Amino acid sequence: MLACLQNIPHAMRASGLNPSRIVSDIWRHRYLIGQLIKRDVLLRYRGAMFGVFWIFLSPLLMLAIFAFIFGQVFQTRWPAQNNGPPFWLLLYSGLITFNIFAETVSRAPASVRGYPSYVKKIIFPVHILPVVPLGVALVHGAFNFLILVAALAWVGGLHSHLVLFPLLLLPVLLLALGLSWFVAAWGVFIKDMTQILPVFVQMLMFLSPVFYPISAVPAALRPIYHYNPLGIVIEASRAVVIGQAIDWSAWAMALGFCLVVSVLGYAFFQHSREEFADAL
Amino acid sequence: MHSDVVISVKNLTKTYRIFSHPGDRIKQALTLGRVHFHQEFTALKDVSFEIKKGETVGIIGRNGAGKSTLLQLICGILKATNGTVQANGRIVALLELGAGFNPEFTGRENVYFQGALMGFTKAQMDERFDGIADFAEIGEFMEQPVRTYSSGMFVRLAFSTAMHLTPEILVVDEALAVGDAGFQKKCFDRIDAVRERGGVVLLVSHSMEQIAHHCDRAILLEGGTVAFAGKPTEAIHRYMALFNGPRDQECAIGNVQDFSTDDKLMNRPSYNPAETRWGDRKSTILDACLVQNGIEDPPFLILGVRTELKFWSICHVDSEKLVFGLAIKSRTGAMVLATNSRFLLGPGEPLKQMAGTKLCTSFFFTPFFEPGDYLVSIGVTSEMGTGLLAHDRRYDAIILNLRAPQPNDENSNASLSCRVDVIQAPAAIGR
Repeated sequence: MLACLQNIPHAMRASGLNPSRIVSDIWRHRYLIGQLIKRDVLLRYRGAMFGVFWIFLSPLLMLAIFAFIFGQVFQTRWPAQNNGPPFWLLLYSGLITFNIFAETVSRAPASVRGYPSYVKKIIFPVHILPVVPLGVALVHGAFNFLILVAALAWVGGLHSHLVLFPLLLLPVLLLALGLSWFVAAWGVFIKDMTQILPVFVQMLMFLSPVFYPISAVPAALRPIYHYNPLGIVIEASRAVVIGQAIDWSAWAMALGFCLVVSVLGYAFFQHSREEFADAL
Repeated sequence: MHSDVVISVKNLTKTYRIFSHPGDRIKQALTLGRVHFHQEFTALKDVSFEIKKGETVGIIGRNGAGKSTLLQLICGILKATNGTVQANGRIVALLELGAGFNPEFTGRENVYFQGALMGFTKAQMDERFDGIADFAEIGEFMEQPVRTYSSGMFVRLAFSTAMHLTPEILVVDEALAVGDAGFQKKCFDRIDAVRERGGVVLLVSHSMEQIAHHCDRAILLEGGTVAFAGKPTEAIHRYMALFNGPRDQECAIGNVQDFSTDDKLMNRPSYNPAETRWGDRKSTILDACLVQNGIEDPPFLILGVRTELKFWSICHVDSEKLVFGLAIKSRTGAMVLATNSRFLLGPGEPLKQMAGTKLCTSFFFTPFFEPGDYLVSIGVTSEMGTGLLAHDRRYDAIILNLRAPQPNDENSNASLSCRVDVIQAPAAIGR
């Protein structure tokens, strides 16, 4: 009887605060998540003349504009840096990290709300829906990263440290996922979330060291930046691009914090999902 | 819980909280639920039943009776306010036509996605795909976006996919209303196959024919509670009665007469012991028979011969505006004849009757149906506003055995209604 119970959705109770349960839960639905991500990516480009090439084209265009503005027009330089990759590439590397976070979190409020039939009409593991925007953002991030590698090779700044880049993103992925679970659940009850989040994300972009290093921030404000996990990861990922040393203790702290956020987000989502069908 | 119980529903109650404004939900959450900003609506009240292996159970009821809520609770989509639902086995649910289908993707992509939803891998879906495509009969459209499908194609694909995901519990909510008769038959063959494998089928339908024909049992929901659970025919009769007259017509009043007193119909050879009978018993039917060619209760009726259905009733209280009804339906539940005295006599002097008097009512009709067995229902009711208040309804009380006319049959005028001409076509227009 008990064994049977575990197979059915009714028995899918909130798993509490156990990270390994969350991982196994997502792993169990990996094929479904993969399909949802694939659908999402394909749907975005379906019908467009260049189709899926836009995944590649749009970041390339953006990088070309950066290179023109910051390389030719403004001739901007990274503070306290004399050699290594040009400014526009460092800016781009920070944006890769930030965009993964931004895309995930701004789409999260609609990730459940946008699929009422999945919640109300079919038997569906609703808690994987907020994972999908992250997956889609990672697909885009992967292409951005490939472009970064290619551009670095072209300007002659390719580093072996660069292989650490994807690994360094881990805290940001956890943070994005945890916030997505929170925001997706709120989004079901509060429609305004879809309006609030993009503004919030925009604000966060200027508060994170995307366009400038932490060292350029006035000393009085620096502690805020030192405790911003997003900032820590952006700094660390930029360090591997330049070839500088990484502040591993800060990174580990960010990882721990983001892990807690993701577990809490999951628990909150599972706690509130019972109300979803009534609210939608 | 016995091992052969697949679905067990105990004291199930579902109360929806209705917030008049989305902000009210937040306010209530902020006060940790101490202050209430909502109204409550109870869709299901204290519902209990069990469904065993290999059963097909119909769920019927008027709109808003709680049928869909019950199905959603069984599927685990909604959470019960009180009580429990236990379901053992893979549930495949067709709650809404094509829910989970994305109109932008092709039929093939959607089929694989539905499989993924139910935990099937691509390899497992590869095995099933040809079967699904054959069953759905949508041909080349399989590679077209689903938004280009007609509603019939849509339902065929959705149903076909669901049936090939080897459900142990199949839940169908009126999804079969679409689709032509041929496809519906195929679907019901598959539904019967699920049952034979030991699976369970839950069927919500407004088609009483489907319920009567395919269900072993039926549950009638009314106002969120189980009004009746048992034989589909009886459930259907009670369901039909909900549309006629006041809701509480079943409660007997005054000096209740035992139905069995003076009942001669029970001793007739054509009597069907499986009849269902109910009403307020102010008037009761005592006897009934079919007459053809002057013979009472012939062993069979001949197609196309004028027939009389006679029945005797007694009034226990003074009655006004009496209406006598007759309905004949096939074994599968299809209605072939339904009429009543109000309709046949037209507006005029209403039928009155004094307490203690008997009446004999005769209906005359000529059966032009397919030969076979039919069930005859008769009833005494009286007009009540626009509805009918049932005094004594006897559903399926008489078995009518109809056979095709033989050349030496008396009075058969079957040939008057149908004729066939077969003539030589001139060679000029022949192909």
